[in-house]
Amino acid sequence: MSIVALSELLGATVRDASGTARGRVREIAVTPQDHPTRIAFLIVRTPAGERILRPDSVKSCGGATVRATTDAIAWEPYNVSDGMLLLKRDLLDQQIIDVHGRKVVRVNDVEIDATPINSHVTLAVLAVDVGARGAIRRLAKGVVPSFTLRALLEKIPPRVIPWQYVDLIETDPARRVKLKIAYEGLSKMHPADIADIVEDLPPAEQKAVFEALDEEVAAEALEEIDPDVQVSIVESLPSERAADIVEEMDPDAAADLLGELPEDFSGEILKEMEPEERQEVTQLLEFGERTAAGRMTTEFVAVDENGVVDDAIEALKTFEGSREAVATIYLTGPGHRLVGAVPLVKIAISSPAAQLSLLSEPYNACSPDTPDDEVAAIFDKYNLVTLAVVDAQGRLAGIITADDVISMLRHRK
Amino acid sequence: MTMEAVKTFKTWRARLTLFLAVVGPGFITANVDNDAGGIWTYSVAGAQFGYTLLWAMIPTTIALVVVQEMASRMGAVTGKGLSDLIREEFGFRVTFFLMVALVVTNFGNIMAEFAGVASSLQLFGISRYIVVPLAAAAVWLLVVQGTYNTVEKIFLVASGFYVCYIVAGVLAHPDWKAATFALVTTPETSGIRNYGYLYMLIGLVGTTIAPWMQFYLQASVVEKGVTARQYSASRWDVIVGCLFAAVVAWFIIVACAATLHSAGITTVRDAADAAQALRPLAGRYAYLLFAAGLFNASLFAASILPISTSYAVCEGLGLESGLDKKFHEAPAFYWLYTLLIVAGAGVLLVPSFPLIHIMVLSQVVNGVVLPFVLIFMLLLTNDRELMGEHINSRGFNIVAWVTVVVMIGLTIAMLAFRR
Repeated sequence: MSIVALSELLGATVRDASGTARGRVREIAVTPQDHPTRIAFLIVRTPAGERILRPDSVKSCGGATVRATTDAIAWEPYNVSDGMLLLKRDLLDQQIIDVHGRKVVRVNDVEIDATPINSHVTLAVLAVDVGARGAIRRLAKGVVPSFTLRALLEKIPPRVIPWQYVDLIETDPARRVKLKIAYEGLSKMHPADIADIVEDLPPAEQKAVFEALDEEVAAEALEEIDPDVQVSIVESLPSERAADIVEEMDPDAAADLLGELPEDFSGEILKEMEPEERQEVTQLLEFGERTAAGRMTTEFVAVDENGVVDDAIEALKTFEGSREAVATIYLTGPGHRLVGAVPLVKIAISSPAAQLSLLSEPYNACSPDTPDDEVAAIFDKYNLVTLAVVDAQGRLAGIITADDVISMLRHRK
Repeated sequence: MTMEAVKTFKTWRARLTLFLAVVGPGFITANVDNDAGGIWTYSVAGAQFGYTLLWAMIPTTIALVVVQEMASRMGAVTGKGLSDLIREEFGFRVTFFLMVALVVTNFGNIMAEFAGVASSLQLFGISRYIVVPLAAAAVWLLVVQGTYNTVEKIFLVASGFYVCYIVAGVLAHPDWKAATFALVTTPETSGIRNYGYLYMLIGLVGTTIAPWMQFYLQASVVEKGVTARQYSASRWDVIVGCLFAAVVAWFIIVACAATLHSAGITTVRDAADAAQALRPLAGRYAYLLFAAGLFNASLFAASILPISTSYAVCEGLGLESGLDKKFHEAPAFYWLYTLLIVAGAGVLLVPSFPLIHIMVLSQVVNGVVLPFVLIFMLLLTNDRELMGEHINSRGFNIVAWVTVVVMIGLTIAMLAFRR
């Protein structure tokens, strides 16, 4: 096995079986629908037009020469099709997502593995070079003699990303399908890391990522993104897709987002949403943004005051809201009035039949119109993880979680 | 708040955000354009050649509007910076050499800004050996600490100082007829076939349409998140900004021509000389006004140039960049930024460093490099795959290509007449 760089192959002289120079390599194509990494063919520019040269008729490549085992007559003409990943056009100098390093990087060169098998070679994309080695190779190509250059490059520590940790960014949805780009690596990352990466991308690429990501992942990532960027991303999506993502978001985050959008667009999104989620979000939208009601989420765990620990565990099992919200289980009496609060720890250490009302601890609550500052002060004073919001009738309207308070305090700076 | 009130508040806020979002980049860039290099070049031009360079202002302004509009349109449509686009479309090697040229050119401008700081405070008798290191440290901290965004508004308001030149220009009772006539007539060819004249002419264009402005403007448009849809408002921001910059430039030349040139002072030796141009307005306090204005302009540009250069270079070469990163995460970015400031300020500590000469020279280099940046901008703005329906109109292409040809021609002519 030997490694050739894409920049070495591009422009290399192609010699046919007789050893005559027939043209130069212009592009290298991978067809992901056939094989994810294997190189399908080289595109050779010859005086007679562009020709396809498949690796199974390549004897060797390297040292700025590609030797074919066939005659130029046998090479098929090249026809443009968009199901191909063209390494020079689509990869070289473009931005990609480094899944392992969790950032956006620019490709300096591509490493291709060339393995000889029965008198021909197989070529496969191995890694992308994002370091100085690829940069210097391209800078010095054709200026410094190739053997000197090789010796020099050996001394530079490589900085490469293995191909399986590379997520390509493609803005055309149809091409994305054909090239099988699904952002698998990206969607496995922590939402906060996805958010960081997306914030580094230009708008068209941001849109592309959010079109392709799984709705749930997209929603979690969107919550972590800077509000201004959030708005521009959501605005760029079709309202149907936007609604699908917003539905999956925490109601309070969704309400904040919709509040920032132009009214006609947020109306369109609301229209597309499921009735249940829509109702929750519209309720929250009506409250002032910088009050307890604007910060609270309506997704919390509430159990009847007469229940036992087992009931609480059942409620937790079916709960779909955020993990921050389950730190406290709230007890409600007739008319959904708040009567008690049990920390999650107590549920964990008590027997399944224990009466919840006996486990209840003193709790804090505030009214929906409590301003941000006061909410933060309550959290600080009582070292809270969650805070209940109750209306004038004492009914539990929602809860505020500590993570919301932290981001509220940070964004005010 | 009632729903109605919330609604009014929101539309009001939306309007203000839109206003700040689009009035920003073009106007700020145009203001920073009249930096130390600018003020000095215009002053020296007016003093040395009187009204005879004024004719260049109309074509230069047209070119300025066209070029700046191209940069901001590219930013709005692609959402990418100029160096990003050059890298993606033209590959690594081309980008590398262009970035080297940009660093050299911008380094000259950064030197000019610190020279501006030094010469402005010289009027108060403060030694540059104290002023320049302090200014360099202040700029470095201002940007790295993130306080720049707050200070930007102060700089911007203080740029109102340029109005003084307009008033001074009027109060100097220039020969209006001659000034207006000079605006539309080119001098005789014998006047143009002169190294000094061509040098000044290139400097004049180079300071008005500086290469760094294109990178900075496009980056700002991207950062403000202006999109193709909101672009029409952004276009006006650019045009108004350019016209303002050009009017100020014209009046600086006129004020200097009317006060210095007509009094027989054709060489500007120091800031005290240049300050004379404001005498009709401020009398013997002219130097105060000049010093304050020049100080502000220099510091404003000095806080923008090094950081914008570092961003452009690192993005083009694919190096980690951004003030939100730690030093060890983006070493090249921070080193380049720090070096530009330290070296740019450092050379001024060399005794008998020719401040004014360097300030004007840096603008001439701008003018020489400009056509090359412009060629890339032209190729990019005519790429339909990239710009879609927003590609250049034929009129824009003509103006921009003429600018390229003329600037290369002027450079060759200047070198040919050099003895």
